[in-house]
Amino acid sequence: MKRVIAGLLACSFVLIAASCGNGGQVTTGPSTPGTTQDGETQGGTTAPQGSDLKGELVFWGHQEESWNNSFRDIGAKFTAANPGVTVKFEFFPYDDFEGKMQTSLLSGQGGADVYEIWGGWALDFASTGSLAAMPASIETALRDQTYPPTLGALEYDGKLYGMPFEYNIEYGGMLVNQNILKENNLTVPKTWDEMIEGAKKATIIDGEIFTRRGFDFVNWDSVPYIFTAMILSSGAKYQNDDGTFNFASPEAKNAFTVLTDLVLKDKVTDLTGLTGGEDLEGYQQLFAGNALYVPRGSWAVAEGEQTFELTYGVDFTYEALPHYGAGDLKFAAETGWSLAVNEKSSQKDLAFAFLEFFGQDDISLQHNINTGTIPAQKDLAHSPALVEAMPYVQPLVDILDKGQFIGYFNTDIFKENINDVFVNYCQGVYTDMDAALAELENLLDTAIVKK
Amino acid sequence: MKNRKFVLLVLIPAFAHILIFRILPILANVVISFMEYNPLGQNNHFVAWANYSKMFSDPVFYTALKNTLLFTAIAVPVNIVLSLTIAALITQLRSNKSRSFFRMSFFLPAVAPLVATSVIWGRSIYPTTNGLLNLIIKSLGGTPVNWIGSADNLLFSVIVFTLWADLGYNIILYSAGMDGIPQEFYEASTIDGAGAWTQFRYMTLPLLGRTTTFVILMTLISYFQMFAQFDVLAYQGGPQNSGMVLTNYIYRTGFVYKDMGYASAIAMVLFLIIMLVSFVQQRVNRVDWEY
Repeated sequence: MKRVIAGLLACSFVLIAASCGNGGQVTTGPSTPGTTQDGETQGGTTAPQGSDLKGELVFWGHQEESWNNSFRDIGAKFTAANPGVTVKFEFFPYDDFEGKMQTSLLSGQGGADVYEIWGGWALDFASTGSLAAMPASIETALRDQTYPPTLGALEYDGKLYGMPFEYNIEYGGMLVNQNILKENNLTVPKTWDEMIEGAKKATIIDGEIFTRRGFDFVNWDSVPYIFTAMILSSGAKYQNDDGTFNFASPEAKNAFTVLTDLVLKDKVTDLTGLTGGEDLEGYQQLFAGNALYVPRGSWAVAEGEQTFELTYGVDFTYEALPHYGAGDLKFAAETGWSLAVNEKSSQKDLAFAFLEFFGQDDISLQHNINTGTIPAQKDLAHSPALVEAMPYVQPLVDILDKGQFIGYFNTDIFKENINDVFVNYCQGVYTDMDAALAELENLLDTAIVKK
Repeated sequence: MKNRKFVLLVLIPAFAHILIFRILPILANVVISFMEYNPLGQNNHFVAWANYSKMFSDPVFYTALKNTLLFTAIAVPVNIVLSLTIAALITQLRSNKSRSFFRMSFFLPAVAPLVATSVIWGRSIYPTTNGLLNLIIKSLGGTPVNWIGSADNLLFSVIVFTLWADLGYNIILYSAGMDGIPQEFYEASTIDGAGAWTQFRYMTLPLLGRTTTFVILMTLISYFQMFAQFDVLAYQGGPQNSGMVLTNYIYRTGFVYKDMGYASAIAMVLFLIIMLVSFVQQRVNRVDWEY
């Protein structure tokens, strides 16, 4: 009887353990033929044998149709150039992607040879030894050709652990609703004051409810990025040399005053973008005719055209966000989407060959155009072909060299705390601004520096 | 004896499942709560009571604890009273078809996934500008209300949604309990001159003791663990964390901040609260009869 029970227990354990894995299939490492994962799976084309490079690369990315199609195109071109190579693409819903990547990298089981990776994630992964350092040939080219903010989070201990393919810029541009602009006899503002005056004119408030917002900067990205840009452009810093945060400077206080006054005194928007309560996000409200100016990344343009079926140039445009103050423009930017190689991949050489292929000017530029992103490489960002394909990115391209890396920390925590303190101050939680900014310093130092 | 062996064999997989997926994770959680543990980090080490002492000086933890207790203290009694009342009213209906129709109507929201219905309420019913509630209020000449973007209204809005989504389950349980009470009891009491209220107060309610014990316990546990509607309706925990409950705080600490040690310590507190409340509730509502 004991043997029977022991046998059954063993079987139960094996069955349960197997069901914990990837769809019940045991995987033996990246690039193992037959490996399957949850999510969308797209096979590459198997090419004839006989070239120097041979094998099957597994590539993991997040689901987004235009991005996925672009990656597949590049994979097909890579296969055409290297007939012995197949690239197998697997794309996962964004919300699941980081967890999948994390599990595969830490366990060393399954996973991919090449990952599409968000800069902030590399910050967590690089120090664990799970990502492969870029070889000298790629690293030298990257340091020479790309904007510094695109590399910041990929760097650890003097080495690079990823190859950026976009400049993630959330500051410097804004959507403008042309219909509201004309209705109020306004023109696209060139100065900060002009923009705020126009915003006040266009704002409509019904009791305590904003039915139209003039300048809706209250969203997850814009408050932190405009706040930090104001501080940096005034010649101050928000982070000390020892990594602690500093919001006690007169420049930080002035920036905080200007931004909170837009809500409390100028009343050009409310806090809904950070407290919730509406059915649409701020930039979507602009497309729905409920906002005049909304600062957001250029990625929002596609949604206006495709989802809201508006005409760019007629219903809305993407313009330069007027710079606040008289100082030289400076802004913070975080490292965006990049490619990284699994340290445990049995085909690292092949993976790096794919990265080098991806990094070619024509391939990279086409990918940026296909995905509506700004190139990480300086030359490509200023390529006439880019602006011709996406004219609305011009205001951003003009200021790319004014950007600096936001800092080597978890940017979600950074943004969340700035937004929380901003909302709480506007809702009267603090006795005064000094208390609010001291709280912000304390929260960030506790969550980021002392951790 | 053969029967006993068979029972043992049948039970082994179930017990193995409970051991692996219930008991071991709880033990792992206890261990991790005494560590600085980041699944991505290499420097995961024992920190003794550091996570617990950090918790007791963390204002967000107290806010989440207060919101969790407040939510449960309001939503559970209201749920019990409403579901009992509605079940009693449905039971009064003579037609089987009518009873089935109303039971099904109240149960429908419980069938739909909570995340999906939360999104519908958050995007269609509660929004300030174009939400159904405010459109009705405005059409009646009232002032629109910021239902889920205001610290004053958020918890109330989540409770209303939760009751709508969850009431049907308890109505079914109470209806089943009422149907199980022998009809002879009511006939005898009617002969003795008892009215409908007297029958409900002195017969139905006491005879539903076991059902009530089960319903309260399950609702309590379930409401302490509510996550989806807070995650959807309370954007980033809501203004001033007015929609932050312990489950959300555990998720955010563990999976956004990647501080699994601290998240495990908070999870231990939630575990102990649920265990304590369940134990007390079981003792208070002990029933020693049967019919």
